[in-house]
Amino acid sequence: MAADARDGGRADAATIALVGLSHHTAPIELRERVYVDSASVRDTVRGVMESPAIHECVALSTCNRTEFYFQAADAASAESVAIAAVAARAGMGPGEVEAYLYHRHGYEGVLHLFRVAAGLDSLVVGEAEILGQVGDAYELGLSLPDSVGPVLHRLFQSAQAVGGAVRSETSLGRGAASIPSAAVRLAAKVFGSLEGRSAMVLGAGEMGVTTLRCLLSEGISDVLVASRTLDRAQETVAQIGGRAISLEDVWEAISDVDILVTSTSAAEPVVTSDKLGLSRGQVGSPLVVLDIALPRDVEPGVGGLPGIFLYNIDDLHKVVGATEEARRAEAAPAETLVTDHAKRFWRWYRSREVGPLIRGLRAHGEAVRLAELERLLAELDGLSESDRERIEAATRRLLNKLLHPSTVAVRQAAADPNAIDFLDRLRDELRLAASSPRSESVTEEDIESSGPANGSADAESEEPNEARS
Amino acid sequence: MILGLHLLALVLYAAAWVLQLRGFRGGREPGLSGVTVVGGGLAVHAAGLLLYALSYRSLPLVGLGPASSSLALFISLFVLAASVRTDLRAAGLFLLPLVLLLVGEAVVVGIEPTGRQIAFRGPWFVLHVSAIFIGYAGLAAASAAAIMYVFQFRALKRKQFGSVFGFFPALESLDRLNKVGLAVGFPALSVGLLAGWSWTLTFGRGLALDNPGTILGIVTWTAYLVAIAARSRPGPRGERAAVISAVAFLVTFVAFLALRITAREAGFFL
Repeated sequence: MAADARDGGRADAATIALVGLSHHTAPIELRERVYVDSASVRDTVRGVMESPAIHECVALSTCNRTEFYFQAADAASAESVAIAAVAARAGMGPGEVEAYLYHRHGYEGVLHLFRVAAGLDSLVVGEAEILGQVGDAYELGLSLPDSVGPVLHRLFQSAQAVGGAVRSETSLGRGAASIPSAAVRLAAKVFGSLEGRSAMVLGAGEMGVTTLRCLLSEGISDVLVASRTLDRAQETVAQIGGRAISLEDVWEAISDVDILVTSTSAAEPVVTSDKLGLSRGQVGSPLVVLDIALPRDVEPGVGGLPGIFLYNIDDLHKVVGATEEARRAEAAPAETLVTDHAKRFWRWYRSREVGPLIRGLRAHGEAVRLAELERLLAELDGLSESDRERIEAATRRLLNKLLHPSTVAVRQAAADPNAIDFLDRLRDELRLAASSPRSESVTEEDIESSGPANGSADAESEEPNEARS
Repeated sequence: MILGLHLLALVLYAAAWVLQLRGFRGGREPGLSGVTVVGGGLAVHAAGLLLYALSYRSLPLVGLGPASSSLALFISLFVLAASVRTDLRAAGLFLLPLVLLLVGEAVVVGIEPTGRQIAFRGPWFVLHVSAIFIGYAGLAAASAAAIMYVFQFRALKRKQFGSVFGFFPALESLDRLNKVGLAVGFPALSVGLLAGWSWTLTFGRGLALDNPGTILGIVTWTAYLVAIAARSRPGPRGERAAVISAVAFLVTFVAFLALRITAREAGFFL
């Protein structure tokens, strides 16, 4: 019996934990060093899983965060292993890297992952990419032997469901939250659907190409790339498709274009009112010009030409700003949704833990009962077999009635994130009791020293159901 | 019962408009809930007019109340048709007040036959009035699109990324709605006017140019012609065509109000 109680205690000590760093706590240089790419994630997780304290592990690594999620027998040992792994990647000592890390245990850990999946912890609140990255981390974990068990499996599936729910049930993900998506939104406000539209990019800078990729994902069908040299334009075309043209051909080709993206490194404006006015002439359809270069590539007067909509990098920032403001207003309902889901998960998690704990509690009670019964029967010589059985049955009933309110309280506490301390203390007490020889003979002094018996009247008034207890 | 159904339709249209206003204030594109409410209003409204036709054994085309209600039904049909497309749901922001005004007027003056006998009746009369109502509804839709176009155009040109930018549809979508409104409304109005004039020339006293209905028909037809001509000019046409469409509708609406006030034959639509 005592052995059962110890087993139960050890299983109950397992908890969900995480160690990580993000844009909230660490500079980009450190995040870059710690970043775990898909090629090295297997070795990293395998290394962490070598610790016997860790039962399950998933690594979530993006440009803004690297986090290790565990189901661990001992959170402190698991954290040490994770800190060592992060420190090794950062090229720093564990003590040094500690300043940039955060730790979350139990319910707090669950809530953290759900907030991350919902985009509430992101640099741009409500961004959609993180949900896919959480899914990728989980898939990678599944591909590693023994990395994902029943707890992290359910945790990550729930996180993805929460992320989806936040996006479908709140407006948190609406609007444009990055410069390329703001560019797409502006173009879409002129053209509606971008399906079948044509675009030209002047200058093959990184932002220009990223913007073009965004436009392509919205259905842009015809892409022209012009750069300082034709070779450079061809390199870009090889990456994203389309046609490369020389700078000399730009003004002829521009009359058939719907969207112009400029991102050259020229010191003077490349697109002037005179040139564009002449090229577009009597073209009936509008042209959206997205000047994302600094210094600007397009003369401000271009925006005054009929049918031309000109936006520079500041305008795109304004669109992003308006979206962020709207998203902040939507953060409160999203937080409520996330908290509800986290509580629901936590109820499930504790309910699967509560079985061993209740078994431990009952085993402890049963051990005490048997020890006391043995001592009593030894003192009462000459009892008939039927008297012995009646005394044995009476002690069993007594134990059941005494344990019933405790069992109910443990079940209720399991569903309450605020009652973690209570359950942990109970688990520790059971472990101590199971390992102490005194546990099998509780004296009146022990009861006195444990303080007044609160709620004894309530316990008496309870009508325990023996079958249930 | 007819009045009850109209009151219910009025409430549903009003609710749909409130949803549109809320979306506009938040600068968010309209959701599906507004479309559902408009659909509900339209169904109840149509049931009210069907009950009228069954009860009085005549279509609700004669008399101020029934005619206003029928015109409102045609306009709300345009609202629903536009709302089926996600990018045009915001059109109700401008069209629903017109629907509310017309249904409200019908409720106030009463939705029942005038009891007056008119010489022009039968299928040609039904064609005449129905086609003219479609013509008016088409112009209303084209004009709502045009007004929204002007606002959205200015928001985009002036780089104001607020409620108008967020809630109003894309310029291209609005331009398309304007085009469809004109393409459906102009032929319908022409057919309606031709049917009326043919009848009066054949059986009546000739063209009654002093009739408020005739005057409004001519004003509306001319407004259409101007709006269509503005679209057919070469070069970037968007804002110019939109402004002309909006002004044409405004002129028609002012003419309608002026004729209503000065109309001698109270009890008819005009």
